Amino acid sequence: MVIVMDETATEEQISGVIDKLVRLGFDIHRSTGVRHTVLGAVGDREIDWRDIELLEGVKEVLRITAPYKLASRGFRPEGTQITIKDVTIGGREVVVMAGPCTVESRDQVMNIAEIVARNGAKVLRGGAFKPRTSPYSFQGLGEEGLKYLRQAADRNDLLVVSEVMEPSQIPLFIRYVDILQIGARNMQNFNLLREVGRINKPVLLKRGPAATIEETLLAAEYIMSGGNHEVIICERGIRTFEPYLRNTFDIAAIPVFKKLSHLPVVADPSHATGRRDKVPPVAQAAVAAGADALLIEVHHDPENALCDGAQSLLPDQFEQLMHRMRLIAMAVDREVAPGVEAVVK
Amino acid sequence: MKIEDWRDEIDRLDEQLVQLLNARSQCAIELGRIKRELGLAIYSPDREREVIAHVTGINPGPLDRTAVRRLFERIIDESRRIERVTVEKESKGDNNGKRKKKAKT
Repeated sequence: MVIVMDETATEEQISGVIDKLVRLGFDIHRSTGVRHTVLGAVGDREIDWRDIELLEGVKEVLRITAPYKLASRGFRPEGTQITIKDVTIGGREVVVMAGPCTVESRDQVMNIAEIVARNGAKVLRGGAFKPRTSPYSFQGLGEEGLKYLRQAADRNDLLVVSEVMEPSQIPLFIRYVDILQIGARNMQNFNLLREVGRINKPVLLKRGPAATIEETLLAAEYIMSGGNHEVIICERGIRTFEPYLRNTFDIAAIPVFKKLSHLPVVADPSHATGRRDKVPPVAQAAVAAGADALLIEVHHDPENALCDGAQSLLPDQFEQLMHRMRLIAMAVDREVAPGVEAVVK
Repeated sequence: MKIEDWRDEIDRLDEQLVQLLNARSQCAIELGRIKRELGLAIYSPDREREVIAHVTGINPGPLDRTAVRRLFERIIDESRRIERVTVEKESKGDNNGKRKKKAKT
């Protein structure tokens, strides 16, 4: 922490600030300048910096260290790789997670799982418990939906990611899914974050639509402080003044997260844009910007989807996007898995 | 004198500086011990002002007054630190029940 004193600060006021910081356990580096005296406070103490800002004679307090520790890049400079079965997230491969917004039926999820697996996706996404904006919208199939996801994933050699909405659902999710998703609206549900921090399954944490990068990393810190260090950060668009699309995809957040944190970053172009014609360009940009994974909604019959059909890619659009992402990944020293003839067991 | 000679001279003076700074730190350590026993605060702004006034007062140059002041601010920063570390280390010893025997005279 660096404290810049006012030009008019008296020696007594400067002494007062040093005295307070010394009592708090900091070592002080004082530098008396021509106009301003600058105090460097060195130490690993957690304090509310506003208490210093309010002291007489203080012009400005600059924080140097991030308020999150376990999530910071310095904690693991080489970066975190999360390996589940034969899939590694945070490595050279840009892992594609794809599937329907919501599990609607066994047939639907079987059908889509086969399409995404054939095109090189490694993880099947799908909601079983849906946090809908309206209480009258379809709320999901619940445990039945998780079962269908698991069956479809196993048949196609995929992993499963699905959103958990409350702590009581965690045991159920542990039984069926490989990655637990914390939705954007629950990003600061600290009780839920603490609970998923106690399990030993990876967590995909979505950035809240109005959350800053720092708040997102602090939410990751909540999970990690419980002992679960396998957290994947998801950029899914934020609220801005621009109403044209559902959200504004914060493309620069990808390199920023990668710089500030060692955690893998996944991009969700489907929720960010809310429109299928805008999903491919944003997905391609995310690969170019350094995303470690993508979360993409695909539906074989979006016209009749029960949820977010407008943002789901059609199978042939997904196939084309995967092809383009492979080319872009090569340009940035990454790779996207090739499509396969048939994986159905 | 050649460049090497001046550099040798600087090295010799640095050696003296290191000796002197350590001797000064030893005083700070002893001072820290006394402060701890008497329950006094490590930071004494009045004394720090006296130190700065003293050294800038006797400064013959060519370093100007503010340069001497800045250099001694750093020296004082480190003295304060070593006093703190001494106090903390010895207080921790007390808490662990390893109270240091006081010299009996």
